[in-house]
Amino acid sequence: MIKIFSGFFAGIVLVIVIAFKFAGGFMFSEYASPFGVEETAARVQANIQALEKRGWKLSALRNPARAAQVSGINVLPVLLVEACSTDYSAPLLKEMETRILSILMPCTISVYKKDDGKTYIGTMNSGLMGKLFGSKVASIMTEVAKDQQQFIVMDPSKPAPPLIRKRPGGGSGGAGTPESGC
Amino acid sequence: MNTTRFSIRYLLLIAAVLMLSLSSYAAEQKESVATIKMTQAAKQASKSTADHTKFTELQKDFESGPEVTAACLECHTEAAKQVHSTKHWTWEFLNPATKQRLGKRNVINNFCTSVKSNQAFCSACHVGYGWKDDTFDFAKEENVDCLVCHDTTGKYKKIPGLSGHPNYKPMEWPPKSGKIREPVDLKKVAQNVGKTSRDSCGSCHFYGGGGNAVKHGDLDSSLKQPLRYLDVHMEAKGLNFSCGKCHLSDSHEVTGSRYAPTAADDKGALLRGKEDGRNPTTCVACHGNEPHKEYAKLNDHIDKVACQTCHIPEFARGNIPTKMTWDWSTAGRLDENGKRLKIRNSGGMVAYDSKKGDFTYESSVIPEYVWFNGNVRYTLFGDKVDGSEIVKINQFMGGPDDPNSRIWPVKVFRGKQPWDVGNQTLAVFHTAGEDDNAYWKKYDWEKAMKVGMAAAGMEYSGKMDFVETEMSWPITHMVAPKADALSCAQCHNENGRLRNVQGIYLPGANNTPVMDKIGLGIALLALLGVLAHGGIRILTSRKGAK
Repeated sequence: MIKIFSGFFAGIVLVIVIAFKFAGGFMFSEYASPFGVEETAARVQANIQALEKRGWKLSALRNPARAAQVSGINVLPVLLVEACSTDYSAPLLKEMETRILSILMPCTISVYKKDDGKTYIGTMNSGLMGKLFGSKVASIMTEVAKDQQQFIVMDPSKPAPPLIRKRPGGGSGGAGTPESGC
Repeated sequence: MNTTRFSIRYLLLIAAVLMLSLSSYAAEQKESVATIKMTQAAKQASKSTADHTKFTELQKDFESGPEVTAACLECHTEAAKQVHSTKHWTWEFLNPATKQRLGKRNVINNFCTSVKSNQAFCSACHVGYGWKDDTFDFAKEENVDCLVCHDTTGKYKKIPGLSGHPNYKPMEWPPKSGKIREPVDLKKVAQNVGKTSRDSCGSCHFYGGGGNAVKHGDLDSSLKQPLRYLDVHMEAKGLNFSCGKCHLSDSHEVTGSRYAPTAADDKGALLRGKEDGRNPTTCVACHGNEPHKEYAKLNDHIDKVACQTCHIPEFARGNIPTKMTWDWSTAGRLDENGKRLKIRNSGGMVAYDSKKGDFTYESSVIPEYVWFNGNVRYTLFGDKVDGSEIVKINQFMGGPDDPNSRIWPVKVFRGKQPWDVGNQTLAVFHTAGEDDNAYWKKYDWEKAMKVGMAAAGMEYSGKMDFVETEMSWPITHMVAPKADALSCAQCHNENGRLRNVQGIYLPGANNTPVMDKIGLGIALLALLGVLAHGGIRILTSRKGAK
């Protein structure tokens, strides 16, 4: 009997260890881009704007590397493209149980360079994240995940669009106005 | 009624004109007050024993640069002679190791390619006046431009196309921009000369290759007032080094040439005042041979790795992208109206220009790394090129077995540029000028080649093509704070920074298959031993129990 319990307990510990080790990998996805950081971010912005019919609007473009530079620290280039769609945000914000998910808004696509000199796109695994919060959130986040896949399509046959540096929503981070999408 | 209406209109018009005049006057006053304040501040900060505003020679209204030089020479009698012997003047350098005649006058690069036949344009960065063709008098003292290096006002600008002169009359610049550049106030500039500065050196060296940050990658206008992250030595609010702090000069000769750089310096810190012909611009010349006190193990690297490799983790970090490629073969494409095309990339930089072809740019560039012993061999005009392989415009010599070699970070600039197929050489072509032979005027390669090749002393064969080229630039500026130096794992890693450097064994990066197999075998044997031992113990304990 002791052997059975100890085996069961060891199994649980193993699962917890594996979950801790790999949870990060499940929650976030990373894709290589054939373009540089600015062009990749610009293409993500253009893709988001192309999904305006699904309520998507650009909220802001952030440059956390610049903030590090001002503090005297070197970091490789990073740009955060932020966007929001009221089609998805409004139902979550209406319900008291899901308002806490506002911390995930706006949706952020990260574009960054790594030590190999290549550019990468980082996204949150919205589909999996949604499944942790019940069926309603899951159904919304599944749609968000589908749209996210459209955001990161890099089509070399299309010319490089200009990077939109201004914050459509104004203010800090661009939130709080209709133009920002959230 | 009509008279009243007319009078009101008339009054309104007068009022508007007055308002405009007043606002323009106020703006002018504001600007002149700002300039006076700046000049006063510069004077207060200056420790010079001479106030040039008081010199009688500098009280006249100068009409040209050479007139100013003549005035300078009245006191600084030997200055022009000294300048005449420098590379800044001759644009020529005989490499003692390779015996190649280098310098801007002789090399071909893969940016604007060659000075020959384009002197009037290129000499905007020459420390002289009037170099427009081969008739230029290199011996005339008044042809030396003192102001380009010694201006402290920031108002002295030389414009491409004027053979090294600033504009003496109002002129539109850049061409067709609608912007009028007023003539430089030579008297004011002459009265405010001083030591060289990041601004004055940078007025050429930050703009090499025809624009800000284009050529070097580690030199651009972000170094005028850099933050600490960008360069610990030049940080404007910190050590605030001028270029001359490292590039010590003597008799106008500035040390630290990239034509014959010092790749390895093991002579320790340079004693102030000691004259032994050493290059004082190296890191070791100040920091010594054992610069790492806290982590002394790092000192074991310095016989193989240049300081720059770890301490300049990336170049072009000042948020100004540097040009990485230039493809001349696509030049000449015009819009539907036959006008010059300029297409910008996502970052707003010109990615295509009818005059020049296609470009790419990059910020925070991870360098390539090569062995380098300080010798650079160039592919010069006349050297054989057959178009079948990438032409290395310059090659950094050295290798793992050479004690004078170190692993250096470099910017490799890649291009595609004209070559003369018949003569089997990189081409010299006439780029800039108002004549119809200039490529930038008529987009006619044949004419541009004919004139350019003739200027270089060779008859154009009549057949040209484009060849891929590579040119390397050593990275040595933009030194990051020590906390941002490369970490161990950035090199000691299978995919680390030095993965393409030949002839080195890097723990963590390289493996020896035989050693790996032996190690794995020992580990397996140990595991088997443990299992066998455990098994025997279990068996023997059961037997004992029975």
